[in-house]
Amino acid sequence: MRRPRSLTLRLALAAGLWVAAGLGAAAWFVTDVAVRQVETAFDARLAGLLDGAAAAVAIDAEDRAVVTRPPAGADFDRPFSGAYWQVTGPGGVVTTSRSLWDQSLPVAMEGHAVILLRDAAGPRGEPLRVAERDLLLPGATGPVHVAVALSRAPTLAEIARLRGVLAGVFALLGLGLVGGVVATVVTGLAPLRQARRALAEVREGRRDRLDLIAPAEVAPLVAEVDALIAANRATVERARTHVGNLAHALKTPLAVLRNALAAAPPDLAAARAEAVALDRLVQHHLARARTAARAGAGAAPAVAPLAVAEEVAAALRRLFAGQDRVIAVTGDAAARLRVDPQDLTEMLGNLMENACTWARRRVTVAVAGGAMVEIAVADDGPGLPEGQRGAALERGVRLDEATPGAGLGLAIVADLAALHGGSLELGRAASGGLCATLRLPARGAVPAG
Amino acid sequence: MRALVVEDHAALAGQLRDALAEAGFVTDVAADGEEALFLGETEPYDAVVLDLGLPRLDGLSVLKRWRAGGRGMPVLILTARDAWSEKVAGLNAGADDYLAKPFVMPELVARLHALVRRAHGHSRPEIALGRLVVDTAARRVLLDDAPVRLTGLEYRLLAYLALRAGEVVSKTELTEHLYAQDFDRDSNTLEVVVGRLRRKLGEGLIETLRGQGYRLAAG
Repeated sequence: MRRPRSLTLRLALAAGLWVAAGLGAAAWFVTDVAVRQVETAFDARLAGLLDGAAAAVAIDAEDRAVVTRPPAGADFDRPFSGAYWQVTGPGGVVTTSRSLWDQSLPVAMEGHAVILLRDAAGPRGEPLRVAERDLLLPGATGPVHVAVALSRAPTLAEIARLRGVLAGVFALLGLGLVGGVVATVVTGLAPLRQARRALAEVREGRRDRLDLIAPAEVAPLVAEVDALIAANRATVERARTHVGNLAHALKTPLAVLRNALAAAPPDLAAARAEAVALDRLVQHHLARARTAARAGAGAAPAVAPLAVAEEVAAALRRLFAGQDRVIAVTGDAAARLRVDPQDLTEMLGNLMENACTWARRRVTVAVAGGAMVEIAVADDGPGLPEGQRGAALERGVRLDEATPGAGLGLAIVADLAALHGGSLELGRAASGGLCATLRLPARGAVPAG
Repeated sequence: MRALVVEDHAALAGQLRDALAEAGFVTDVAADGEEALFLGETEPYDAVVLDLGLPRLDGLSVLKRWRAGGRGMPVLILTARDAWSEKVAGLNAGADDYLAKPFVMPELVARLHALVRRAHGHSRPEIALGRLVVDTAARRVLLDDAPVRLTGLEYRLLAYLALRAGEVVSKTELTEHLYAQDFDRDSNTLEVVVGRLRRKLGEGLIETLRGQGYRLAAG
């Protein structure tokens, strides 16, 4: 079943179901107690009448049972009034009240010294409650059976009325409770509605931030949204400043370039120098833009270093096709990093391309899991003397001007690794070549700063 | 040799066409992805320079569809996007090399030459065939260590035969690889050029197989 989308509707439905179940059980219990109460009172009255009748029974000289005076408290004289008595003497002679007229009560088996109560049908088919017992009277030859019956119709009517009243009361109570819940929910959710309206106003530019006085449960949400709005505004502001900076930085070399080209013999040397300057500016600003974009990015998804290394290796095999390079990627396929996938590709791409460039033949990439995942990229090339390893990590330094590359590769890798809470270390491979070891925090590990 | 330049920036496309013409390529230019897709599927190019940001159909999709359709010509991606994730995506989509803008023309030409040689199984720029050496990087031809002066068309024909040395190359294939798509092809011209080459290099080097084509002896 689809869940209702409105929170109010959901809470009202849940409350309605709960209240219906609870009140239903309570109503059944209360009604049952009340009905029993009514029936018990009725039976008590019947037993009283039976006692009254029994007290008035006497035995005459012919061994017949006689009721000396009719029991008080019910109309035993009007025919079919619904109140009857009947006495059976020891000789089997039956004496009845006037109200029974020519009928008799259906008497149960005899021999009960205690009162027997049961339901039976009356002379006109009406529901009767019969109380009967045996009496041993002094001077009698056998027990006298006394029975008193009362119509149950008034009692049944009273019970029906009672049930109706109770049902009505409980239904009203249930409606009241559900209404109360709905009212509570609607009032309780008011701060959320208020926040939504405020957020819409922020989007439409009619206010700067939510800035609401909200209850303790909603206040953190409001604060977070305000922080997000502020961060967004800062990002846009930074981007605007950045674009402005870039445009201004480009204007000067452009002016020089135009002038150099407009000169009577165009100053090609100057134009070339400015083109180089423009290129460097663009590189610088692109690198800054990337870092800025990452600073604002949220949590990175899990990324498998082995899979990324395989992808980069496949690309490099194409790039170095025909140059007899063997790239072997091995290690822990289950290792996962908490690093932006594009950044990992950037780091591995730089390291592995560098290794392919210097390798005589073999490049190995080994991934080892742990709290810090270690990715070792080794080649069988000439390696790097210890004294030059530090310099290789400095931005813009190129150790060999004759080998293609922007001279930023290793420095970019070191910067990116540091940004993600890791490190890059250069060492000597077993084969004598360079071994670059990248250490990055595994997913789930706490970043070191 | 025929090259396709896919570049939507008209000025850069013009510069590329000029530089490749100077390097011995007959070059067609496509300014959008759909045109590039069509040309690459129908014309037998020896190399392609492919920009990724293109109107109508992006370069990576064009490349993937060429490769899916069995077109295996060497492709060099030329793009302003130089992040490694994009490089990996391009190479693993079937590119053979990747060059980021801004670039210098000599590097592009050198890489394109290297790709063409690699596609024909040559790893060095100089193709040595006995007394004859064809230096595809310098566009020079040496016969017994002495330079031979050739016209552009003569060099292109000889260089193509040298790349395919030892194999029979049909006249149709030669015209397809030596002339631009919209050129009025005339196989008589081809015979004239072969004749001139024979006069400059000696009769025995280029063999004519009647009804089949030409063959340059390997080594």
